[in-house]
Amino acid sequence: MINGKAIQVQDLYKNFGNVYAVKGVSFEIPAGEIFSLLGPNGAGKSTTISMLSCLLQPAQGDALVMGHSIIHDPQRVKASIGVVPQEIALYPDLSARENLNFWGKMYGLRGEALRQRVDEVLEVIGLADRQNGKVGTFSGGMKRRVNIGAALLHKPEVIIMDEPTVGIDPQSRRHILDNVKELNRQGMTVLYTTHYMEEAQELSDHIAIMDQGEVIAHGTHEELVRIVGELDRLDLSISAESEKIMAKWQNTEGVRQISAENGNLTLLVEDSNRVLPRLFESATRAGVRITSLDIQEPNLEAVFLQLTGRALRD
Amino acid sequence: MKLIDLAIKDLSHTFRSVFSLVMMFGAPLLITGLLYFAFGGLASSEGGFNMPVTKVQVVNLDQVPDRTSGFAAGQMLVDFLQNEDFAGVLEITLVADELDARAAVDAQKAGVAMIIPLNFTTAALDPKTEAYVTLYQDPTLAIGPGIVKDLVSHFLDGFAGSKIAANVISAQLSARNVGVDPAIAGRAASQYSAWLTSSGHSQEAEGSGALKIRSPRGETQTADQGSEMIGPIMAGMIVFFVFFMGANGAESIIREDEEGTLARLFTTPTSQATILGGKFFGVLVSLIIQTAVLLIASTLIFKIDWGQLPSTALVAAALIVAATGFGVMLMSFIRNTRQTGPMMGGVLTLTGMMGGLFTNGIPNLPPAFDTATLAMPQGWAMRGWRLALAGASINEILLPVIVMFLMGAASFAIGMLFFRKRFA
Repeated sequence: MINGKAIQVQDLYKNFGNVYAVKGVSFEIPAGEIFSLLGPNGAGKSTTISMLSCLLQPAQGDALVMGHSIIHDPQRVKASIGVVPQEIALYPDLSARENLNFWGKMYGLRGEALRQRVDEVLEVIGLADRQNGKVGTFSGGMKRRVNIGAALLHKPEVIIMDEPTVGIDPQSRRHILDNVKELNRQGMTVLYTTHYMEEAQELSDHIAIMDQGEVIAHGTHEELVRIVGELDRLDLSISAESEKIMAKWQNTEGVRQISAENGNLTLLVEDSNRVLPRLFESATRAGVRITSLDIQEPNLEAVFLQLTGRALRD
Repeated sequence: MKLIDLAIKDLSHTFRSVFSLVMMFGAPLLITGLLYFAFGGLASSEGGFNMPVTKVQVVNLDQVPDRTSGFAAGQMLVDFLQNEDFAGVLEITLVADELDARAAVDAQKAGVAMIIPLNFTTAALDPKTEAYVTLYQDPTLAIGPGIVKDLVSHFLDGFAGSKIAANVISAQLSARNVGVDPAIAGRAASQYSAWLTSSGHSQEAEGSGALKIRSPRGETQTADQGSEMIGPIMAGMIVFFVFFMGANGAESIIREDEEGTLARLFTTPTSQATILGGKFFGVLVSLIIQTAVLLIASTLIFKIDWGQLPSTALVAAALIVAATGFGVMLMSFIRNTRQTGPMMGGVLTLTGMMGGLFTNGIPNLPPAFDTATLAMPQGWAMRGWRLALAGASINEILLPVIVMFLMGAASFAIGMLFFRKRFA
């Protein structure tokens, strides 16, 4: 670890043929923090953490994990990290305990130390009573928990989690988020990728917003929200095709940004109290009915909209 | 140590999979068992094959002329068929009435009725007289009546020879105005017939008799008939399914790649060489277990004599190396598990056919085919097993064993090259 930084990413590039998935990404993560990479699918988050996990070789640049270079010292990097992949990377025909035993061995644990650590991890992930059940028979949420547990066995200094809550029920999601906080309380540095704004907001000390292979904003939640200033975010549903009204609203005074997706419109406006009557008036004149309206305080979604002109959605 | 942990994990996956167990042990034993019963009828209690016994009703109508000095061709034919050498395949019953004999065949109480005509002895002695032995058979039977027909033909061929000889002698003596005493002719025919019978026996002793069955090592062992036939079939099954499981084991790399566990393994402080080595070690161990179980099980179930233990062990080891290498190479060419079905089914069946695995039971194949099978590792494996089954020593099996080791090593190297490139 150098200057209290668990991870230092320096100008990373990665290309697949002619397509650059990551373009000059740099950031630092102080030890003991939860750091989120936030961005839509295809933003380059997974490619970035694949390089930090030594799965992919960067085309250019380097990163230090606990002071070890991912290019020159990958084995020591691997020993200091625990990786929770996006997909369930477990053996379905083995039980939860057998899976944890196997992954513990791959991190060099043996004998009594391994047995004890497996017991502890089973408690942490809340599956001690299901430890002998085959993973293939578990629910999605339970599999996710074992998936996380397999990365904790060797008590890594840094844990890298790639969208660990994708496709699971709210209860399991809550359990995982609480686990992440608990691990961080125990001193682990967490690098967390997500495209759920709420998760990044709830968990993170620092957030880097990625889009199209680049970090487009970086800071604490408060710092990022300040980018959009005092803008309000309006989420609207309308009765007609969005194109019919978008051009009119785009030119309405006080509207700073507008985007449409699946019949829903998201607008960033300077003062919702002043702008809303104008929007209703032009909608009425165009024969468009507003069927629902939600006014939100500035948040990361608004930041992404402000920076990219697109909503941060799937 | 991690290498062994990886192998144990893969082995536990293999031995928990019903599919793997069926393909490792169930299918080769079952298919061989089906062929065993299909070709051999039902196995005897000793495990060998029993030729079905054919019931023959013999009607001897032969009337012996006085002048033949006791020579009776009809009775000689009956005696010939009642020879104890044929007791295992023919059950001879003498009946007086031709109609009764035919009725017994119609009622399927006998497989064949043989009617020896009235003038059979006369015809044997007189060049100008003809006689016909009639065989009346159950049309649903093939093997038993065929044996009776062959034996009778063999017997009659002898008389045909004696008739020709008698004709020549008679013509020569007549030309010199010397008459032939019928009593002398009868004794000569009798002696000729005795010679014929003993000649037939001596031919059998040398292995060219109609029913002589030899073991692979030339010993006359009826119980080894099954081994002779079933041994190569079982060997073919072992070779095919060991190659199949070799490819199936190597396929686990592709499966782990798709399921993300391989990528996860690469994020642990475990070298790529250890990960790939552990997986291939697992394949190797599973094939050792498979081969050992199949050899032991086939010895116990089908009474197959696999030959000398050191030779058998060496052929088995070479087969396992060849199958592992071939499987690794095969799987290194494919991109995903959707391709493994056609690849394994198609390529292994094709190379197995080209290697002669499915033509073990076909006799008299052209030598060129046997040579062509050696283009495939399966062909060399079959050659090794055939030699082992024939009781070959280590020196005699060295060539196929060395070739299998070399082919296995070469294909393993090619596969590793592709895999390492792929996961670099």
